[in-house]
Amino acid sequence: MPDSWDDEQLLTALKESLRVLRAVPSEFVEAGKNAYAWHNIDAELAQLTYDSTRDQDAIPSMRSETASIRALTFTSDHVTIELEVSGDSLLGQVIPTQQGTIEIQTRAGPFATTQVDELGCFPIRPIPASPFRLHCHTGDGTDVLTGWITL
Amino acid sequence: MRDDPVVIALVARARDGDQHAWNELVERYAPLVWSICNRYRLNRSDIDDVGQTVWLLLVERLGNLRVPAALPGWLATTTQRECLRVLRSARRYDSLGSPVDSQMSPDQSSLMIEEEVIEAELNAALRAAFAELPPGCKQLLSMLLSDPPPGYAEISSTLLMPIGSIGPRRARCLDRLRRSQFLTAFSEREIKDNGVKDARTNDAGGGLRA
Repeated sequence: MPDSWDDEQLLTALKESLRVLRAVPSEFVEAGKNAYAWHNIDAELAQLTYDSTRDQDAIPSMRSETASIRALTFTSDHVTIELEVSGDSLLGQVIPTQQGTIEIQTRAGPFATTQVDELGCFPIRPIPASPFRLHCHTGDGTDVLTGWITL
Repeated sequence: MRDDPVVIALVARARDGDQHAWNELVERYAPLVWSICNRYRLNRSDIDDVGQTVWLLLVERLGNLRVPAALPGWLATTTQRECLRVLRSARRYDSLGSPVDSQMSPDQSSLMIEEEVIEAELNAALRAAFAELPPGCKQLLSMLLSDPPPGYAEISSTLLMPIGSIGPRRARCLDRLRRSQFLTAFSEREIKDNGVKDARTNDAGGGLRA
């Protein structure tokens, strides 16, 4: 326990605590502070409920280099958003079917906006290289934000 | 580490919209997140990715923390999970390299997390205690801690202090550090937690869930 350490032990521990702090790049700390911008957003959060890679990993015998179509499903109380990687683009669908707008947001800020058609479908092209999330507004007032997506 | 009032207060303030409190939490625990990522030997861009994910998850869960003092344990296990996720996807897509997946057994890895959490809390307590020292003590200890440490003659001329009083002064400053409320509180929590380690680990994982 530090309160019973002798002077040398205490000095060594103090030195280590300061060294550890200096080892962390300041940009890493700043990025963490900036994450607070996402605090208290009003949108309903849609959780990742299906991820083809994750769910394939769960069954080792099905793991295969060729089964490469990535599919994700986000679910909130009111809507489900399904995503499928198709070549260099991402195709999405809002269920139940409704028209609206999808805003693509990266950690750096808004990335692009795409329209949801009358079948609830929307394309995202190109796929953001950095992690992103989708903010979906629909005609009936649905306001949903997905978790972060890394493809 | 369950009853740290400093952490509980910071979490409450951050939940209520105080960016400064959030910043303090990040400053306090960024070394923990960083250190765990390094244990998994992630490269810098993967570490940044894991860090972002961990802080964003925390922002979203701030309102649901049932046991705010379990925060360090939650941060550690969440960081670990994200590191493993990154390693798995690296293994899948990078056929050239052979990324180190977790070579730790589940027991080793939960022990590692526990060590990292205790280490992070000890370091936070030491830094808080150091920050509270009077300026003269901070100056002297800083000099003694520099690499390589200067001789007493140099300390004497820099701090305008007789050589003979450096030793006693050093002892007084370290004693002050040792008696700091932060270190006392750390030791008390450690003693209390001893023997209930399993409960603490479980709490740390579950305490933040919605």
